[in-house]
Amino acid sequence: MPESDFQRALRALHEGGVEFVIVGGLAAVLNGAPVDTLDLDIVPARDEENLSRLLRVLDGIDAIYRIQPSRRLKPNASHLRSPGHQNLISTCGSLDVLGTIARGLTYHDLLPHTIEMEIGDGVRVRVLDLETIIALKEELAGEKDLAVLPILRRTLQLKQRPS
Amino acid sequence: MAPEEDTQSLTDYSEDGVDLTLIRWFLSLTPAERLDVLQRHVNAILAIWELNAGK
Repeated sequence: MPESDFQRALRALHEGGVEFVIVGGLAAVLNGAPVDTLDLDIVPARDEENLSRLLRVLDGIDAIYRIQPSRRLKPNASHLRSPGHQNLISTCGSLDVLGTIARGLTYHDLLPHTIEMEIGDGVRVRVLDLETIIALKEELAGEKDLAVLPILRRTLQLKQRPS
Repeated sequence: MAPEEDTQSLTDYSEDGVDLTLIRWFLSLTPAERLDVLQRHVNAILAIWELNAGK
């Protein structure tokens, strides 16, 4: 099983010049919510130049599809151009590259709802803000989303008025 | 002071059962420190899974 290394994956994306937003569980953690997650979910900008940079990084961390890993299926530009989800496994652990999330929201839709954060060694990343994470989970209302909502709402409350 | 009173004063749960002390502690960390905590948790979980693979 590949070791998980969020920091190495994020550094590779940052150094590769990839434009992306961190969403999902890791975004919640970076916003201060004490929840666990095993994968890194990102929404990249889907212009051709950015997808080329992303493909180079994915190749560098040996990313393949998690489904049937023995076939070692690699994502290509046409996969990444799609609004769908690419569920990958890499030398840095699980990585989901999401063309869009929720009701078809793209990188550019999400960008105004992000915060830039430093995650060590000068690496700065764009993270979806807690208000938007909560709104999207309320909208999706899946069991997994509903389960984590009380923690996210309390975190936002304490963030807004710490006691 | 009775032991149960003592314990109660040291906990802080919201009415829906969320541990607010955990959130306050996590909010007190920087994003890099939060990432580090998560990374250590994930690595520990993966190591345990590996040890128990096939069981």
